[in-house]
Amino acid sequence: MDRKVTSLFGYVSKSVLLAFYALFALFPLIWMLILSFKPDSQMFTTTFFFDPTLDNFRAVFSQSDFLRNLLNNLIISSLAVVVSLAVGVPAAYALARFQFKGREDIAFTFLSFRFAPEILVIIPLYLIYQRLGLIDNYFGLIWVYQLISLPLLIWILRGFFEDISPDIESAAQLDGYSWWQVFFKVLLPLVRPGLVAAALLCFIFCWNAFTFTLQLGGNSTQTSTVSMTRFLASDTVHYGWVAAAALVSALPEVILALLIQKHLVRGLSFGAVKG
Amino acid sequence: MAELTLKKIVKQYNPGQPKAVDKLNLEIRDGEFIALLGPSGCGKSTTLRMVAGLESVTDGEIIIGGKVVNHVHPKDRGVGLAFENYALYPPLKIRDNLAFNLKARRTKESDIHKRVAEISKYLHIEDLLDLKPAALSSGQKQRVNIARALIRRPAVLLLDEPLSHLDAALRVQMRTEIKRLHAEQCLTTVIVTHDQLEAMALTDRIAVLNDGKLQQFDTPLTVFNHPANEFVAGFLGEPPMNIFTVEPDNNRRLVIPGTEFALPMTSNIEQLLGKRSKIKLGIRPWGVRVNQSSSNGLLGTVSVIEDLGDETRAGVRYGELLLISSIPTTDRYKPGSRVQLTFNDEDLNLFDIETGARLQSNNGSSAPA
Amino acid sequence: MASVEIEGLTKWYGKRRGVENISFNLADKEFLTVFGPAGAGKTTTLNLIAGIVTPNQGSVKIAGRNIDGLEPAERNIAMVFESYALYPQLTVFENMAFPLRSPKYKQPEKKVKERVVHYAKVMKIDHLLDRQIQALSNGQRQRTALGRALVRQPDVFLFDEPLSHLDAKLRHSMRAELKEMRSQLGTTTIYVTHDYLEAMSLGDRVAVINEGRIHHIGTPKEVYFRPTTMEVARLFGDPEINLVMGQLKAKGLQLVVQILGENVGIEVPPDAAEPLRTANKVYVGFRPANVNVIEGNSKTAFHGVVYSFEPLGTKSVLTVDAADGTRIRALIDGRRTIQIDRRIQFTITPHSLMFFDADTHRFLFRSKVPIEEVANG
Repeated sequence: MDRKVTSLFGYVSKSVLLAFYALFALFPLIWMLILSFKPDSQMFTTTFFFDPTLDNFRAVFSQSDFLRNLLNNLIISSLAVVVSLAVGVPAAYALARFQFKGREDIAFTFLSFRFAPEILVIIPLYLIYQRLGLIDNYFGLIWVYQLISLPLLIWILRGFFEDISPDIESAAQLDGYSWWQVFFKVLLPLVRPGLVAAALLCFIFCWNAFTFTLQLGGNSTQTSTVSMTRFLASDTVHYGWVAAAALVSALPEVILALLIQKHLVRGLSFGAVKG
Repeated sequence: MAELTLKKIVKQYNPGQPKAVDKLNLEIRDGEFIALLGPSGCGKSTTLRMVAGLESVTDGEIIIGGKVVNHVHPKDRGVGLAFENYALYPPLKIRDNLAFNLKARRTKESDIHKRVAEISKYLHIEDLLDLKPAALSSGQKQRVNIARALIRRPAVLLLDEPLSHLDAALRVQMRTEIKRLHAEQCLTTVIVTHDQLEAMALTDRIAVLNDGKLQQFDTPLTVFNHPANEFVAGFLGEPPMNIFTVEPDNNRRLVIPGTEFALPMTSNIEQLLGKRSKIKLGIRPWGVRVNQSSSNGLLGTVSVIEDLGDETRAGVRYGELLLISSIPTTDRYKPGSRVQLTFNDEDLNLFDIETGARLQSNNGSSAPA
Repeated sequence: MASVEIEGLTKWYGKRRGVENISFNLADKEFLTVFGPAGAGKTTTLNLIAGIVTPNQGSVKIAGRNIDGLEPAERNIAMVFESYALYPQLTVFENMAFPLRSPKYKQPEKKVKERVVHYAKVMKIDHLLDRQIQALSNGQRQRTALGRALVRQPDVFLFDEPLSHLDAKLRHSMRAELKEMRSQLGTTTIYVTHDYLEAMSLGDRVAVINEGRIHHIGTPKEVYFRPTTMEVARLFGDPEINLVMGQLKAKGLQLVVQILGENVGIEVPPDAAEPLRTANKVYVGFRPANVNVIEGNSKTAFHGVVYSFEPLGTKSVLTVDAADGTRIRALIDGRRTIQIDRRIQFTITPHSLMFFDADTHRFLFRSKVPIEEVANG
């Protein structure tokens, strides 16, 4: 069972397989990278060898409101996450600590918001939003983005709150702190890794949102996800422009994720493992 | 029924990491009941799992009934393992839980029936046969657990902390049952436990482990009265042995600096002390005799009295040390009483500070505990 | 002055009884241990006193002042939790200082430092003040939790099984040290445990609780030698007390009790005549330590067959099948070895018997001969 030869063979074959898979998974991104630096003239003639150019990037930034759309995306996504935090943290705490009838049903209902594809609910939502005058409105989009970020936040944070022994809250209360002080001084610092991880994850999902902003957004609130599709014009498809726009769009979240990577891993697994 | 030999068993999970089990040698006789005793993390469960075949052996050999079984599948080793957490199959009735393994071996239906009836009568679980595990109490589950291990008629029975999840009263009861079971079956048995009372009560010999290394392997009374080193001496016995550091002074006494503790050395002790500047002294609570205060000898002030019904304990403080003594319940001392302490020389143990080994005199006779 | 008066405390969790009608009074500086098996209601009782849980009925008074309705923060109670409940992100010093920096019990920073260092020395963790909690051993964490409660100098201390997660060796030494430290506590204390050794050793009085109700409050000697019921008797002592049916018979002027299916009668002390007069059948209790296995033959001793022999070091436990099949336990000296299945004879130390009513299981009588004069096996 434990012979050295079989283990070496196993190790090598595992590594090779994993390398192949990594290449397979990353290939679309690598392709996009290549496309964004490829000039239009060489788009269909060569694959990997070409003269790199920055024309695509120049075009994207000068020929459209791309920068403004990026900004819209940033504003809406960030504010959506902030609202989710304000609402989600108390909700997660309540679901973790208090016993009440229908608790699990409510928790599951929150989660179920993520099950439904956005396409499914977009038509009724559009009609409702139109009545309320919330089309092409920052507030409207932030509100509907809660369907994306809130369930995730609540479920991650609920696990974190459940992992904190209620004794710690009792101890802090006996030590002379009011409930609010206990919440801010003791509980929040303890769930901080989870908060960071959850907030970041929600931001990424909001940043990538497409369907809601496509239908419920408009000219003034257009986000980068939607505006990218403009480059798929009817006469010529500027693949290079699309690739460049996509790359620029993905950059912030990739950088963010890399910077806070260790918090992400710790935050997501910490809550899951019962210690 | 078979002998079980562990020859230089080593378990190392990753090269460079400390070894979980380090060159363990044990020769267990046919029909013997032994314990693997030690604190959590000492390697006892790992060793048991290696014997069962659930863990691979990094180095060394496991020999059951004369056959090396390192690469033999667990089901063919002839071992029966009773898990710590019972591991009963929830959807099956107890009857089917017991029969599960036999069915897998394609044993005849009539044979299975016979064996289930036999073993359930023996372990008093006949009324439980048609229930499911969820309906059973911890004690009942434990008996089913053991029955399941026994029904395979193993050569070696392995018990992994069988009593640790039972409440105190049930634990004492089950302990008696297991002892009786072994007395009647005479099956080679290995029990893993961190409870030294359990190991003492049940077994023919105890293997004391610490940090993956074997500390001592001998009968309960020997391990108790003649511990090989400080770890064993401190681990066995309730209440635990008093073990503390002393130094020789210029008046041929062993003292704790800064306190009134001063014990005159006999020639035997002096010889064992040798050139050491510090040594550890060990004495069991019932070896410390408390007398009315007098003008000579080792004096002290009682710091605490514990009245435990049929037992009384007195604590005398010397600096960092709280020396515990078991005294007759008829004695009437109070905190603050001045008393005189005496020991029998044969109750004193000396341990080397560096190695922890118990010091024996040159003529072979050791100072028993 | 911090006397504690608990009156009729009751808490139901839906249909399940947490505790019912808990009442006791403690004088200032008294140390009460609340003892009972798991699930008895001990932690619920503490939580009710601390204000973490609100009772359905009953009241709690500290120093004569009714504290019902007060938030935990306002009760001036310090509690040591079974899980220690240390603040994981703070150091040892910060943990111990936390209560003294709260809005309710705030102290000037200089005083905070003084007190924390003082009690850290008492708990022997003054060299660990800068450590993170994660880096501490179990025993060190426990001392930190104790230290954090001590710095407060509250009206009442509550301890919830503080030693239960320590290994056996550490438990023994911490128990003795806790007893030594009583003067440091300086105020009324309620200590909850499922370990009878802790309950007897530490308490001025012991409150025995089971299934949500208090069965006996008395001094350690009282609950051990004169328990109010058979159930209380069973909770103390390891191995458990032997409880067997007994038949009372008059042999001339002497009252004897026959047990274990033998004609050998044990003489009942003269002052038992009154309490036992109306009883015919009784339960007789005797502790394993009072069973003496004798050598040789005797006409007045009981007979039995050894079912199991368990050496424990200083003593050994003998399980014996008596003449009528009842299984009883005896504690014998650790130096004796007795083979299983051997026939033996044994006696029971006179005056060590307890008599209980066969129907109500309540305590009837125990010899008033002073315990000191009862020879122990």
